[in-house]
Amino acid sequence: MRYLAILLTLLPGLASAQQAGWGNVGKPVDKPFSWTQPLWPSFWMAWTPATLAVFVGIFSAMAVLTVLEIRRPGGDERRGVLGLTTTRGDRLFITLLGTSYIFMAWLGLIGMPLWWPLALSVAWGVFCFWKV
Amino acid sequence: MRKVNQKGWFFVLPVLILVAFNALVPMMTVVNYSVQETFGDNVFFWQGLDWFQQILRSERFHAALGRQFLFTAMILAIEVPLGVIIALSMPRKGFWVPVCLVTMALPMLIPWNVVGAMWNIFTLPDIGLLGYLMNHTLGIDYNMTQDPVAAWITVIVMDVWHWTSLVVLLCYAGLVSIPDAYYQAAKIDGASNWSVFRYIQLPKMKQVLTIAVLLRFMDSFNIYTEPFVLTGGGPGNSTTLLSIDLVKIALGQFDLGPAAAMSLIYFAITLFVSWLFYTLMTRNDAK
Repeated sequence: MRYLAILLTLLPGLASAQQAGWGNVGKPVDKPFSWTQPLWPSFWMAWTPATLAVFVGIFSAMAVLTVLEIRRPGGDERRGVLGLTTTRGDRLFITLLGTSYIFMAWLGLIGMPLWWPLALSVAWGVFCFWKV
Repeated sequence: MRKVNQKGWFFVLPVLILVAFNALVPMMTVVNYSVQETFGDNVFFWQGLDWFQQILRSERFHAALGRQFLFTAMILAIEVPLGVIIALSMPRKGFWVPVCLVTMALPMLIPWNVVGAMWNIFTLPDIGLLGYLMNHTLGIDYNMTQDPVAAWITVIVMDVWHWTSLVVLLCYAGLVSIPDAYYQAAKIDGASNWSVFRYIQLPKMKQVLTIAVLLRFMDSFNIYTEPFVLTGGGPGNSTTLLSIDLVKIALGQFDLGPAAAMSLIYFAITLFVSWLFYTLMTRNDAK
C-alpha cells in the first residue's frame, strides 16, 4: 500500500518527464535552422550561416560585375559628382567601404539596432552607382 | 568590339591562388571570429556585433589609434621630403652612383627585429653608444626606457633610418628616367633650380612618389616588430601602436573575438586611407 502511494505520487512526475523527452533519448533531434549557430563545428574557420551570407553576397556582386564586364567591356567609366573617374568596380568598392564606415559610425556613436544605418547604406549604394 | 587577349590571366592564376590562401582565407576566418566568442577548442558562441561596439567605444583603442596616426604622420612628414632631397643630391653618373645606391640600400636589407634590437642596444642609456654619449658625455638627459618623449624620438629616428632609403631609391629611379633634353631645354629658358624641380623633376617623380607614399603609409601604419623590440610599447603605453595593442589583446589576453573585430576596423582604416591617398594622387592624371 505504501509502495502504491509512492508510485502514485511519482506518476505525474513521470508523465512530465515523458513530456520533456525521456522517450526521445538517443533519437536524432531536428534542430531548427539558425543564422548564428556554427555551420560546420569540426572545421577550423568558424563559419556561421550569417557570415557565410556576407561573403556569398560580396562574391556574387563580383561575379555580376565580371559578367557585366564581359558583356560590356570598358567598365562603364565616367566622371561622377565627386570628381572621380570611376568604373563599376570602383563604385562597388566605394559602396562597400562606405557601408562599413556607416555601420561603424552608427555602432560607435549610437548603438543597436542597426536598421537606420542599413537604410543609409542602401541609399549610399544607390547614390554611388547612380552619381559617383 | 575590340578583341582583347585575355591569356595573361592564366599567368597570374598561381599568385591569385597563393593570395587566396595566405590572405583571403585568414581574412574570412577573422570575420567569423569577430562576431563570436571562443574559449579555444574550436567551440564558438554567437556574439553579434558586440565586439565591434566595445572596440569602437574603448578609450584604449582611441588612444592607440591616435598614437598610430601621429606616428604615421610624423614619419611621412620626415621621410618623404628627406627622401626627395637625398635623391636630388645623389650623383646621376660616374663612380659614386653604385656606392650611393648600395649604401642607401643597406638599412633595408636588415630584418625588422634586428633593426629593433640594434637600436635598443644603441640607445640604452648606460651601455648604448648613443645613450651613453648623450647622458655621460654631452650631459643631455636621454632615457628612452623611461621617458615617453625620448621613446617617441627614438622610434621615429629608427624608422627614418630604416625606411627613408626606400623613398630615396624610388625617387632616384624617377629622376634618372628624365631625359637630358628636359634639362637642356630648361637651361636655355634660364629656369631656376626651383623651377626645374617644380616643373620637370617633381612631375616626373610623381608616379614613384605615389608608390613611395603609399608603401610608407601602409608599412608604418601596420608597423609592429621594430617598436615592439625597441620599446615593447612602453614606457607605460606611450609607444603602444595599434598593431602592438592588437597583439596584446589577441595573444596576451587571448580575447580572440575583440581582437578580430579590432583587426577589421584596423583594416577598414588602412584600406580607406590608402584608397584616399591613391585617389588624390592619381586624380589629375585622368584629366
